[in-house]
Formats: sequence, C-alpha cells, structure tokens
Amino acid sequence: MRQSVNNAAVLLTVCIVSWCCFVPCCSVCAGEVSFARDVLPILADKCFACHGPDANSRQADLRLDLPSIAQRVVEPGLPAESELIARVSHADPEQRMPPPSAKKQVSAADLQVLSDWIEQGAAYATHWSLSQVAAPALPDVSDPSWPLNEIDYFVLARLDREQLKPSQGADKTTLIRRVTLDLTGLPATPAEVDRFVEEDSVDAYEKAIDRLLATSRYGEHMAAPWLDAARYADTDGYQNDRYRYQWAWRDWVILALNDNMPYDKFVIEQLAGDMLPEATLRQQIATGFCRNHRINSEAGSIPEEWHVANVADRVDTFGTVFLGLTIGCARCHDHKYDPITQQEYYELFAFFNNVPEWGVGPNNGNSPPFVELPQSWPNLSAEEDRLITPAALSFQGDGKYQGGVVRPQPGGENTVMVMHEMETPRATFLLQRGQYQLPDKSEPLQPAVPKCLQTNSQSLPTNRLELAQWLTHPSNPLTARVAVNRYWQQFFGVGIVRTTENFGTQGEMPSHPELLDWLASEFVRSGWDVKAIQKKILLSATYRQSSQATVQAHSSDPENRLLARGPRYRLPAFALRDQALYVSGLLIEKFGGPSAKPYMPPKIWSSISNNTYEQDHGDNLYRRSIYTYWRRTIPPPTMMTFNSAEREVCIVRKGRTNTPLQALTLMNNVTFVESARFLAERMMSTNQVPPALQEQQDLPLEAGTSATSDQTLAAQLTLGMRLATGREPSGTELNRLADAYRQFKEKFVAAPESTGKLLAIGEKPRDEALNPIEHAAMTMVASILLNLDETISKE
Amino acid sequence: MMKLLADYQAIASRRHFFSRAGTGIASLALGTLLNSSAGATGSTPSRGLPSLPHYAPKAQRIIYLFQSGGPSQLDLWDYKPQLKDKFGQEVPRSVYPDDRKTTMSSAQASFPTAPSLFEFSQAGESGTWISQLQPHLANHVDDLCVIKSMHTDAINHDPAMTLFQTGSQIPGRPSIGAWLNYGLGSDRSELPAFVAMSSKGSAKEGQPLYDRLWGSGFLPSRFQGVKFRNQGPPVLDIYDPDGVDRPLRRVMLDHLAALNELKYQEIGDPEIQTRITQYELAYRMQVSVPQLLDFSQEPRHVLDRYGADVLQQGTYAYNCLVARRLAERGVRFIQLFHQGWDQHGNLPDQIRKQCNDTDRATAALLADLKQRGLLDDTLVVWGGEFGRTAYSQGELTATKYGRDHHPSCFSLWMAGGGVRAGATYGETDDYSVNVASHGVHVHDLHATILHLMGIDHEQLTYRFQGRDYRLTDVHGKLVTGLLA
Repeated sequence: MRQSVNNAAVLLTVCIVSWCCFVPCCSVCAGEVSFARDVLPILADKCFACHGPDANSRQADLRLDLPSIAQRVVEPGLPAESELIARVSHADPEQRMPPPSAKKQVSAADLQVLSDWIEQGAAYATHWSLSQVAAPALPDVSDPSWPLNEIDYFVLARLDREQLKPSQGADKTTLIRRVTLDLTGLPATPAEVDRFVEEDSVDAYEKAIDRLLATSRYGEHMAAPWLDAARYADTDGYQNDRYRYQWAWRDWVILALNDNMPYDKFVIEQLAGDMLPEATLRQQIATGFCRNHRINSEAGSIPEEWHVANVADRVDTFGTVFLGLTIGCARCHDHKYDPITQQEYYELFAFFNNVPEWGVGPNNGNSPPFVELPQSWPNLSAEEDRLITPAALSFQGDGKYQGGVVRPQPGGENTVMVMHEMETPRATFLLQRGQYQLPDKSEPLQPAVPKCLQTNSQSLPTNRLELAQWLTHPSNPLTARVAVNRYWQQFFGVGIVRTTENFGTQGEMPSHPELLDWLASEFVRSGWDVKAIQKKILLSATYRQSSQATVQAHSSDPENRLLARGPRYRLPAFALRDQALYVSGLLIEKFGGPSAKPYMPPKIWSSISNNTYEQDHGDNLYRRSIYTYWRRTIPPPTMMTFNSAEREVCIVRKGRTNTPLQALTLMNNVTFVESARFLAERMMSTNQVPPALQEQQDLPLEAGTSATSDQTLAAQLTLGMRLATGREPSGTELNRLADAYRQFKEKFVAAPESTGKLLAIGEKPRDEALNPIEHAAMTMVASILLNLDETISKE
Repeated sequence: MMKLLADYQAIASRRHFFSRAGTGIASLALGTLLNSSAGATGSTPSRGLPSLPHYAPKAQRIIYLFQSGGPSQLDLWDYKPQLKDKFGQEVPRSVYPDDRKTTMSSAQASFPTAPSLFEFSQAGESGTWISQLQPHLANHVDDLCVIKSMHTDAINHDPAMTLFQTGSQIPGRPSIGAWLNYGLGSDRSELPAFVAMSSKGSAKEGQPLYDRLWGSGFLPSRFQGVKFRNQGPPVLDIYDPDGVDRPLRRVMLDHLAALNELKYQEIGDPEIQTRITQYELAYRMQVSVPQLLDFSQEPRHVLDRYGADVLQQGTYAYNCLVARRLAERGVRFIQLFHQGWDQHGNLPDQIRKQCNDTDRATAALLADLKQRGLLDDTLVVWGGEFGRTAYSQGELTATKYGRDHHPSCFSLWMAGGGVRAGATYGETDDYSVNVASHGVHVHDLHATILHLMGIDHEQLTYRFQGRDYRLTDVHGKLVTGLLA
C-alpha cells in the first residue's frame, strides 16, 4: 500500500465528515455482508492501527476508515482488481498485510468477508452505536402467544433464528426471590413468598414489582453499580490514601434513585448541578460525581502533573459512563480505532478544566472547592437548600513549599466536595504525548465535543452545563443505549452489548441490536423514566423464564446471551453480605450518613500502611454494605473476594469468579459465622410445623425419638431453608439437613467446650436461654444453608 | 495433567456422593474444573495459554524481593570514589537540571554533593563492587547480575511502584505475577500460584503498599496475587472458626456438597459443579497453608542462616524463608515487599538498620536456593521503584545526609535462572545522576523477566476495551546483556 495521497488538506476535511456520510447497506439479508457488523470489526482490528484515524502512526497516507481514501485500494464490485485484497492475501509474507511486525493476521474467513463486501459494492456505513436510535418495528415471531411485552418479540425472533425455544416460566417462589433480589439486594421473606404464591390475580407480579420499586431498599441496592462507575470512596486513593468526606454525595444518589429522578436530570445534576439556574444545594452536592476521582497528596508531588490527572480522570469517566467510549485512548495520540482525535480529547478536557482546584490534596480532609453541609442533611429546609459559593482556594502555611509540598486548605467532616467554575476559564492546550509539561501553546483550545458525535439537531455545547444538556438530548445516539445496556447487565448478568464500557469499533456488537434500540428509544420516549424501563424489563417473559436447563444448553451458551432461559448467577458482594445479615435478623436498616466500619481482618490497614482501622461496634457492624467505609488502596477484602470494584477508577463491568477464597469467606468469616449463629436462633424460635409437613407421610423420623421433637426439628430446618432460599426443602433435603444436625450435635456433645467458642464469634451476644449444644449444632446447619449455591445465587 | 487427574480422583474417592452419583458426574466435573471460565483466585490448577511458553524457559518461577521506598544506589552498589573530593560542592545544573526534582527538595538553595559514607570493596571472583552495608550478600556476588543503569519515568512512590509492578503508572493494569499466572497457569491446586508478602523495616515508617501492586487489573480476578497477611491468619479466613475442628468441617462439607449436587441435578448449571470443587480446594488449602508455614522441620542451622527474627511472622527473614518454601512447592510468582527505604533525612543511620534487617536473610535465601538446586530455575530479583539523589536533601554534614527520590538511574540485581552471573551491567555518570551507557528501563526489565520465563513480551496480550494490552504496553526491549 505504497501509493500516496499528497493533499493533506483534503485528507483533513474528509476526516471531519467521514463518520457522518455513509451509504446505508442492508445488514439482515442472508448472504449479504454488513459493513458495520462484519467488515468494520476486521478493518478496525487488523488495519486501523496503521491505516486509521491516528495521523501519527499512519502509513502510506492510506486510511481505510474513510471511503474517499480507501477507494485507492478498493474497486467496488471487483475484489480481484482491489489492491486491498491483493495485499491482504499476498503470498510473500513481506508483502502481505498486516506486516509481520503487527503480529496480527487476517484469517481466511475474514478475507472472504472483505472480498464479499467489495463484490457487493464496498458500501461504507456509520459504526452502529454512532448512528441515530430509531424505534424498530416488532419482528414476526414463531409463537405470538409467548411474548408478554415488546422485549419478548426481539428475543424470540433471535431464538427462532437459532432454532431454539424459550424456557417455561419460573415458578412463583423462584420468581419472587429473583425479582426481590434484583430490585432490593435482599431476598423475599417467607411471608412475602407466601403472599405472592397465594395471590392469583393477573397483576400480582406487577404489583409485587411496584411494591419493591417503592421501598427505600431499592435505591440502596441500585446505588452500588453507580458508586463503582463514579469511583466513589471515603479516601483519596494515592499513597497514604488519606480521608475525605463525600458521603453526602452517596446519600444524594440513593435518594435520587428512590425518587425515580429522570435519568437526564440525574445526569445533568451530577455533571453541572452547580451551573443550573437557581441551583439548589442538593444539585450542587450532586456534582460531587465529578470530584470523586483520586487526589494525590504525596509529598514531593508536582501540582501541575496531578491537576492534569484529575481532569483526565473526569474525562475518562465521562466517556465510559455516559458515552461508552474509550475516550482516554486519545489522551496521548489520536484514537487508533474510533474517530476521536487527540485535539478532540483536549477539547472535551476543557469542559472539566475550570475548577478552582489545586493538583495536590490537603493530606487529610476534603480538597477545595467544597461547601459546608448543613446539620439537617438530608432534610434541608428551603432556606438551606440553596447553592453555596465555595470558599476560594487558599494554602496551608504561607503557600511556600514546606515539607515538600504546597497544600490547599482542608475541608472537615462537615463539608462535601463540589464542582465550581472559575470566573476566568483556565486555558487548555493539547498536551503532547499526554505529558503535563508538554502543552502545545501555539493553539489554545475551546470546549467542544468530538465531531463524530455532533448531530444536526443540537446546538453545540460551550460549557459544562451545556455539555450535560447536549449529552441528554434525545438525538444523542449513545446516552440512552449505554444506560439501558447497564440496566440489562444488572438483571441478566451480561449486557446486550457485552462490553458495557466500550461501544466503539473495538467493542462487541450487540447480541440483540434491535432490542437495544427499542429499549433506548422507549427510555427516551418515557422521559428517561428509570423505574419504568426497569419494570418493563422485569415484566417481560424473557426475564420471567426458568433458569433450569440441560447441561448441554448451559455449555452451548454459558453466559445465556441468547436468553433461552432465565438469569442464574452468583450474587454480587454487597448482596451476599446483606442477605446473610438480613436472613439472620442482624441487618440494621438505617439510611445514610458517615460510612460504617464493620469487622475487618486484624490490622487490615496498619500492616501495610500508616493508618489504623478502628472498627465500629453495635449497629454499625450490621448496616448495609453500601455504607461500608471504602478505603481505595486497601478495599474491604471480603468484598474484593467477591469481585467488587476497587473504586480507584471508573468501573462499569466486573468479573464474576468462583474461587476457594470465596468458600473460605462464606464458611469462616466472622460476619457469616455470626449470621449463622443468629439464623440458628431464628430457626430454633419456631416450633410450628408447616401444614405441608403435617400431611407428609415420610417425616424424617429417627428411630427412638419422639415424633414431636422430630417435627419441631423439621419445622426449624424448613424455616431455615425458606429464609435462605425462599422455598421449602424436599424430603431428601430435609433428611439430609436433619442428619447433619444430629451429627453436629453428637460432635458437640463429645466436646461441649467447643460450643462456647463457636457461639462467641461476633460481638452480638447470643440468647443464653438456648441449649448451647443444640445452638451450636444448629449454627453449623445454618452455615450450610448460607453456603448453599442456591442461597448465594440469584436463580 | 496426570497430576491433576490424580489430585482430582483423590477428592472424588473421598466423596461419597460422587460414588453414589456414578462416574458420569465425576468426569463431567473434571471437565468443568479444567474448562470453566470461572476458576480460582490463584489457586485452581490451570493450564495457562496453549501458545505458552513461546520458547524453553530458563526460569520456572520468580522470587521478587521488592525494596519499597527507593534504596540508595550510591550507598549500596554504584561506587563513585571520586565524589569524596566533591563533598559539599554543588551538583552542576548541567548534570542535574531542576525540572524533574521533586518539590521536596526543588526549592533548596543549594544541591551539595553527598558522597557515600560507606566503604566499598570488590567481592567474589567477579570482583563486583559492593558496599560494606551488605557483608552477607558480598559472599554471593558471583551469582548476581547487578544492573547499575536502571531508569524509570515516575518520581513519586505511588506511580513509581505501580509502574514497576504493572507496567503503567495509572492503576488498572495487571501486575507481573497476574500476567504470569494468566499466561503460564499453575500446576498447584492447594496453594495460590501467586503469593505476595510484606514486611516493615525497623528504621522508619515505610511508604504504604496498595492492593493493586498484586492485583489482576483488567484480567479476571482469579489471576491476582493472594496476599499472605503479616499479622494473624496468613490467608483471609483460612482457619475454621473457634469451636469447629477438622472432622466437623468435613461433615459440614460433605452435607453441603450433597445438597449442592442435588441442586445441580435439578438445574444443570455447571457453575454448581465448579463451586463444589472450590469448596474442596478450600478445604485442602486449609491444610496446606499451615503446613507451608510450619517451620518445625527446618534444621537449626538453616533457621540460623536467616537470622534471629526468622520465626517471627511479618519480618523480612520470615518472608524469605516462606519464599523458599513456596519455591519448593512450585509456586510461580512469589512477591515480597520490604518497606522503609525512603531515606530523605538521616540516611546513614536508617540505611544501616535497613540493611541489618535484610542483608542476612537475602543472602540466606540465595544460599538455600542454591543448596537445593533451585537457583538454577528460580529467578530472584532485588530492587526498588527508583533511586536516590547524589545531592543531599537537607543538611549535609560529615556523618549525616539525606537523599530525595531519583528516577534517572538506580541499581537493581537479578540472580538465578538464565541470568548472567557475576556480572555488572550498565554505567552511570560520575555523579550517579544519569545513565551513561546501556540504560535499562522498567519496561526493558519486564521484557527480560518475561523472556526468562519463556515468554515473548510482545506476544503475551489480553484484549481489554478493544485493545490488546501487554505488560510492556507499547514499549520494552529484551536486554540480552543480562542473559547467561
């Protein structure tokens, strides 16, 4: 590919319009190649590194992302005449593209796609996620009686194509536990299960969803992924990782979610609440989102360097959370795969660069700008709920380097960090190679959004508030798609686009593109009604399917991308701990405020850092995990074992592992052992034999014991099983649990001194009225229940 | 593979429900163990990538003795006798420009040359120069390759350590051990493939460590290092609760497995089989970890070699002995962190104590590995995140000086599997401020470490956010001069 185009000016102009001008091409007809679906991923992966958007790494002046330049090597209709095909299939490795140094190869299948595409006319099209969302029509399906709402048509149409059938609906007990866990992070109680099972009205399920959406637990559960995305924490994150006070922002999120604040408002207030006309204090606190990044306080730090790091973190987070684009890739050079230039990165940077901040932190306390939080929070009076102008930046000491660094004034426990605009905007320059000390001062940059995202129907933003309004304009192709994909991920375990963080050319294609677009357009149409779109998903037949399947079905689609069954996977870390506390009756439900410090391993902080963890006592040991104190460099290890995000940088997708360390935690960790103790107490408090058992012929009787005591044991075990899994045990399971109880009891009878040790784990004292041997044995049974795969999974 | 199968059958035979369920289930579960995408955090035997190693490895495992804080190259390895004559004279701006000094010392009125207080001598047949601070290590210089021309990009601890352990100053990338775990897998099941340990120096409070230094970044979290805690139970929740003994745990696990098996029969989710296996591995870790840390069978003379504090959990000597025991058990990547090398003020006093805490145990570890034939295929790496300045930070007297952070040159050594023994590599300028020849960047060191493990650093990649990432990112050159 050594021909060259000499006119650089033409090249630049084409670059600007390229992603907006395209020839639509048919993507569904069988045998026809879709540029967006089939060709672009190959070109992006194998070719763009040298023949794509990045001008600095471009070879031979050839761009394959622009049809006007690609035509040099592509002859529409004539693959045999096309240089592209000749070079990609060249027999000589030195002549073949990509060259050996690229360490990438175009497979025979890829070559066929490229060849077919040229044969069919070599039409270009916009990358799917950058094209407008249009509400697609519902497809025809094989069984019109199956769909319960629009979602199901798209899912069934895909299953039809794969010649698969959906699963039957989950039984009511499973369904109510599933949806309760999904909306509140806690399981359904036996009473809630009974009520749902007994109610046979057609809208019983919908009423259950409405009830769950209205509980304050909803916001506490739904806030967790948002806090991960917003990299919220209680410490600064670098080096000594000192303390900050930002929990009022966390409270704001929970309240906003519970109030069902429309998503556009939710976004605008967090990005630019301080700039809204007549802004309230609440709106100002919302902007803490943009201040949740790490802040370096290390002695010797160069403020300019870390100021740039703060702003870059805002830009990267903005790109990932709202646009699903890896904008950060363009910090040091033009994006290699997506149409974002390095200059455009710094133009976006300019929106977030006007905060009157100092690059280095105060080394304990909030970093300016911050405002005083009224004592009455969150119950602000009308008078209190008004924007406060933050105190101007000032410095500790006389502002000279002392002890290695100039530090700003710290904000104390009663403050919260917010965004604020400087009166005179700070000048923004392109930083060569992303280096803070290499600004290109020849050209000051104005705030602007990347060209590929500029659509005709919007006026272009010039400040942070306008950026937020631009972002939530209905014509923005990414905002709604990215948001509904996250909701889908939360309920099904995997997004419709698996790469939640990347909707660019290197991200994965959606499994159900029309469904994604339908959800996105519905979301916008509803006025960004979050609870409504979530309810729509939960009401679908797709969601309500049983997760039971053959081993073969599981192995052919382990992640359930085709949705031929209901979701089944291990609960996230917070829900696991909260559930154990809840079913054992230990959970303390108290809203908001400073973070709680529950049990941690000994010397959790002091063994590797210069701070000491002071564990709380009493109620704070048992609060929901969303309120657990989060130290970024040493996050709570139990939560990390179950794949929590570290909260160092924005995370919108996490792994889900299955490890022996998880088994050790669930068996031995103080929180889970204490929960087992109190679950045992709850179980032992019942002697009510469930009606079902009274009629059962094969009660798990042990020879030589009275029927009454066996019936009581059966009742206790049944209650435990119901608390943990929502359902009653089968006869086999009941026998198994009763066997376990008797074996445990035998062992504790032989070693009665062990009971006192086991029953003393955790700080809450036990009910001394209970027989310690029976209590210890039942604690072990309760531990089995809390360790069941079914208990720790949503199914 | 055969070993794995044998291990697996050992579990299966102990488990009555398997025999009840028949061989069909057992073989299915084995498939799950080998193929499940959801494996164990550092402790499920896994095969690694099929394409690895790229060529025959010289080293099977790594012991990385990370000296956190930035040890002074001028007082340990980089002998500059001519600086004695320049005592107190300004380090010329032409040698050391102002723009990359930290703000801890950049405002100083003067940058006086601070020659090392310590004597150097040539040791071993190789005649490697080494300071008097390391008398025990001096007996092993013929096994070492001392790199005097290391350099890095970062000047503050956090980004510098993050760069050293993950190849990037920005958090979110996998650590070296996680890459190796991902690429090479492990053939051990009851111990993690990647273990991290830490200890504190007695001279001063050290710079903190962060979980990301042994984290898995964007790799699946099962590849992350397991941090052996230096206080209390070595692995989180490894011990059964008080009042629960092993037979009781066995009863509990058998019933749990049977109930989970019933669920699997009903619902068909292979994750349940994986979970059953993980509980068995956990049970075995509960035995193997205490055995690992039980030094009662170590001969007296071996313990003595490591020094008096070898029996005290959380000391450097203790961790060195654990490192040897982990190496014997085939653990892939053993990462020690020793804090306390950040000597800004009273360096001579602090570095004496720091060397007193570490010199003996480091030497003992090398001797122990060698005696057992393990040094041949174990790569040992010693070094910090950057070096220290040739000028004194703060007051310079005949007996006292301090040194600030210095990224432009510093010393690091490697020994063992595939390393050129008894060698000194690279040169610095007269002040030990800049690399004079054969510079080795952190990325180059990473490329070389991977090479010794049989890996082409450009070919061990992982796709994240649409891009192929590697430990060395877009940098790194294999330094052939370091190879045997």
